[in-house]
Amino acid sequence: MPETSPFSLRGKVVLQFGGTGLLGRALVSALATAGATLVIASRNRSSLAALAKSEQAAGRFVEVDEVDIGSEPSLHALRDRVLAKHGRVDGIVFNAVARTMKTANDDLAAWRASMDTNATGFFATVRTFGDVMAAEGAGSIVNVASMQGMVGMNPWLYEGTAMTASPDYFFHKGGMINLTRYLASHYGANGVRVNVVSPGGIFNPEKPQAPAFLERYGKMTMLGRMAEAHEVGGAVVFLLSDASAYVTGINLPVDGGYTAK
Amino acid sequence: MIPWHSLAGKSVWVTGGVGHLGSVITAELDKQCRQVACFDLPGRAEALVRTQNLTRTLPYSLDVSDATALPAALDAVIAECGLPDGLVHLAVASSSGRTLENLPPGEFQNTLDRTLPPTFVLCRELAERMKARGSGSIVLFSSMYGVVAPDPGIYVEPMTPNPIDYGVAKAAILQLARYFAVHYGPAGIRFNCITPGPFPNPSVQQAHPAFIGELARKTALRRIGQNSEIVGPVLFLLTDSASYVTGHSLVVDGGWTAW
Repeated sequence: MPETSPFSLRGKVVLQFGGTGLLGRALVSALATAGATLVIASRNRSSLAALAKSEQAAGRFVEVDEVDIGSEPSLHALRDRVLAKHGRVDGIVFNAVARTMKTANDDLAAWRASMDTNATGFFATVRTFGDVMAAEGAGSIVNVASMQGMVGMNPWLYEGTAMTASPDYFFHKGGMINLTRYLASHYGANGVRVNVVSPGGIFNPEKPQAPAFLERYGKMTMLGRMAEAHEVGGAVVFLLSDASAYVTGINLPVDGGYTAK
Repeated sequence: MIPWHSLAGKSVWVTGGVGHLGSVITAELDKQCRQVACFDLPGRAEALVRTQNLTRTLPYSLDVSDATALPAALDAVIAECGLPDGLVHLAVASSSGRTLENLPPGEFQNTLDRTLPPTFVLCRELAERMKARGSGSIVLFSSMYGVVAPDPGIYVEPMTPNPIDYGVAKAAILQLARYFAVHYGPAGIRFNCITPGPFPNPSVQQAHPAFIGELARKTALRRIGQNSEIVGPVLFLLTDSASYVTGHSLVVDGGWTAW
C-alpha cells in the first residue's frame, strides 16, 4: 500500500488480540499489508510463530507477544514491553474470544468461563491500552463483535446440521457493541476513537460449513453468500487508519446486508 | 493484483461534486481514478476542474432534481464517458429553510419531489445497466438528521432550525439504499449511505461561532467535522475494502449519535 493512501497504517504501532482463528489470521495479513507495525498478542506464542514468519518473509513487520487477557498484571506487563520497545501505541484490534459454551443447556461453569475472557478480559484490555492512547492524545480501538451481537439466533439456519449457536456469544457481542459506544464517549475528548466491526458468518474453506447451512445463510444475506475472511480486513484497516478520523462510536456490520433486510 | 482499497482503472461519478463535501471527494477521486464525472449546477464543475487543476475529471452541468429529464440526460453522459464503476450521490434539493410553523405543505412536498424520485431514477438507471457487468458501488448521502431530530435549542435567532422536510428526505434515503441493496445484491451491486454529522460550511463556521461550539459539544470528539474527513469513508464504501458491506448507513459524526 502506498504511504500516501488514506488507508495506510505505516508508522502506526498496532496490537491485535486474537490471531489464531480464521478471521484473526486474515486480519494479521490485512493489517501487516497496510503497513502497520503489528504486535499480535496471544495466550500461546508458538501457535502464531509460523504466521508471523511468513508475514516477515513478505517484508512486513509482525511480531508475536504473549498475554493472558484474563489477568490485568499480564496486560500491564505487555503494555510496558510494547512501550519500551516501540515507544507508543496507535491502535488495538480486539479479536480475542473464548468459545466455552456450545448450547443453551451447558453448565453455568461454561458461561462463567466465557465471561472471564469475553467480558472481563475484553474490558481489561481496552482499558489498559485505551488509557495509553488517551495519554498520547490519539489512537483508535477497533473491537470485533459479530452480527450475532445485533440480531437473535435463527434456528432455521442450523436445522438438520451439527452446528449450534451458543447463547453467551450473543450476550457478550451485544455488550461489546454498546460498551464500544461508552468507550467512544469516555475517550473521545482525548482523541481516541472507538468503533466496532460486526462480521457476518465467514466461510471456512479448510472446514466448510454444512451445505444446507451455506445455502440458507446465503438466502439470509443480500449478497447471497457468506463472507470470505479477507473481506473483514478492509473495514478494520479503515477504522484504524486516518481515513476514519471523524468516525467514532459506530458499529460497522460486514455482513453482506444480513441485518439490513 | 489490484489491492482491495484501490480505485485504479475505475470510473466514478459524483453528483453535487462541487459543494463543501463534494469538492474534496471529487478532488481525491481525481487523484485515484481513471476517470471522474463531476455533476453540479451550470458552470460550477468547470470552475472546480480549472481552479483545482483536475486532470481526470469531466465537468457536467446537470439538474439532478428533475426525475423526468434524468434518463435522457444520463444516456447522453453514458454515451460520452461510459458506465461508471461507482456513484457518489450528494446532490439533493437542499430544503425549505423554513421553521415548522411557517412551512407551507407545497414547499415540504417540493423538497421530497426534488430529492426522492430523482435519486430513485438515478439509482435504477445506473443499476439496471450495471447488472450485465455484475458489479458496482453506489454511495448515497443521508444525514444524522435522518436518524435523530435536530435540537432546536442550539439554533438561536436569526438562525432557523434544520427544517423538517430536510430530515424527512434524508431518512427516506436510508430506506431507499436498503431497498436497492437487497434488490441488486444478487447482481453484485452494493448500495450504502454515508450519514454525516456536523460538517457546517465555512460561511456558517465564520458567521456563527457560538453555534459551532454547540455542535462540537454534542459530539464525543468535541469538534465539528472537517470536509476532508468525509473522503475516507466514501473511498471505503466505493472500493473492495467494503466488498461484503451493503445496505449500511456509515455514520461519520464524531460520535453525535453514539450517546
